[in-house]
Amino acid sequence: MHPALAAAERRAGPLRSRLGFLALALAYGLLVAACLGSLGREGELSLGRTPLANLLKTATEFARPSFVDAWWGNPQLEYVSDDGTVLRVEDRREVERHYLAGLAEASWTTIRIATLGSLLGALLALPLAVLVARNLAAPRALAWLAKGVLDVARSIHTLVFGLVLVGIVGLGPTAGILAIGLHSLGSYGKLFAEAIETLDMAAVDAVRSVGAGPAQVFFNAIWPAVLPQFVSSHLYIWEFNIRDSTILGIIGAGGLGLLISEATALFQWGRLATVLIVVIALVASFDAMSRCIRKALL
Amino acid sequence: MSAPAIVLRAVVCVAGGRAVLEIEDLAIAPGERIAIVGHNGAGKSTLLRLLSGFSVATHGRVEVLGRVLGAALPAAELRALRRETGQVLQGLHLVSRLSALDNVLIGCLGRVGGWRSWARCYPEQERAAAAAALQAVGLLARAQSRADTLSGGERQKVAIARLLVQQPRLILADEPTAALDPAAAQEVCQLLARAGRTATLISVLHNPAQLPLLAERVIGLREGKIAFDLPLAAVGEQALGDLYRPAARMRASGCPAISRPGTRVLRGSPR
Repeated sequence: MHPALAAAERRAGPLRSRLGFLALALAYGLLVAACLGSLGREGELSLGRTPLANLLKTATEFARPSFVDAWWGNPQLEYVSDDGTVLRVEDRREVERHYLAGLAEASWTTIRIATLGSLLGALLALPLAVLVARNLAAPRALAWLAKGVLDVARSIHTLVFGLVLVGIVGLGPTAGILAIGLHSLGSYGKLFAEAIETLDMAAVDAVRSVGAGPAQVFFNAIWPAVLPQFVSSHLYIWEFNIRDSTILGIIGAGGLGLLISEATALFQWGRLATVLIVVIALVASFDAMSRCIRKALL
Repeated sequence: MSAPAIVLRAVVCVAGGRAVLEIEDLAIAPGERIAIVGHNGAGKSTLLRLLSGFSVATHGRVEVLGRVLGAALPAAELRALRRETGQVLQGLHLVSRLSALDNVLIGCLGRVGGWRSWARCYPEQERAAAAAALQAVGLLARAQSRADTLSGGERQKVAIARLLVQQPRLILADEPTAALDPAAAQEVCQLLARAGRTATLISVLHNPAQLPLLAERVIGLREGKIAFDLPLAAVGEQALGDLYRPAARMRASGCPAISRPGTRVLRGSPR
């Protein structure tokens, strides 16, 4: 190789060369092997005693979601004891219709948690993003502080926030809203800061060059450029939070998660299938909607 | 003679361990029309950025419109200076997501404060002034077009309309015709000359054909130093040719000199 090219490659950093990348890949392979090997040695890689039979049983129950019973269920299901006496007669249709009504209400709670939590997170993230964005050159100490807050918020899972908050504000959607808000604050802050960083600095200089003050620069150069990106990130994380908040019920924050934990605790895979169908429909429709809006905006 | 608009004394700008600008002494009187010429990297843009306070001199004293620039200048004073300084910068300095009209109205931000300037709800007389400025540059029909849908020439005209609304005492134009075709360049120069009639006008130019339109005094920069400072009439082909001679360019960029006799690098220099 030409000596100048070799020097240029050295300057580009060790990972840019093929050998360097190979070493990196090797290190990764070693890590994977270490994980697999140690787990195997501890005997933690078992699939249980009868994985196939269990899978089959679960799958058959999943294949018959409980909501079909609301229309085609047995209206006179008799619970009979071993000696032949009828203990109880149950109208399956009535029971499942009741369950569907509860499901609708739980979905609405989930949507409310996600919506308010996302808004809370976005509002909290906005000032932090302004501090973190490198091109706006906020005071160093403040920038580091804001970055720390965002990192902490992002690395603590919604569920952990939820568990702590349930202890503070009690069971119910409030804890869910706060948990969603605090966790997504981190993601919002990162996305918002990136939107600000990709900003056209020429536009900022143009407004600065006429002697505009900081607030004027913000509203005339930064705001119009980043607003569409903010709306787009907001929709994206909102959609993510709809998914996230379906699980929050498990820890007592209300919504669909409560029904999920109920169904799994009782091994009612048919009911779980019903709940999951609702979750998928919810997420898919929101996804389609937000995609349309984002496309129209940019 | 009144106090000079601009005074530079023993100014040195260092960037990347290299002095990119060294000016011993330079004074510009109010109302003067100056052209700065020189090859790429000669320090022309640095000089303009120095005058608008976007860069700070490493050593020396820079005085613009009666204010001494530097770290000691309070931010409010710097903003007050910029209100009186209009800029047409190299490239396309507009807010691309705002309409042409809103971009022109940015020129009045120095006069309009508070929520009106935040919500872009400008007073009626400022809107009328902006519309008149757009008409003056022939772009009234495109007032509501977003800046990123305008052509390069149209954008420079919007920047000049912004100057008309701002009514600055000092205009700094950094290659206002870069990347424009000859007809558009000519038109932009004429508009700029008109906008600068009541102000001190300093332009960075490459095209000698534009000198008479925009300048009566020409300052040549070479490797950060003033090579000549002459009235327009005294600037001949010889002086400009020397300034742009390839050898000078090559030395500046640290490459071995390649002699290319008879080359004129003056017209249509890219960038």
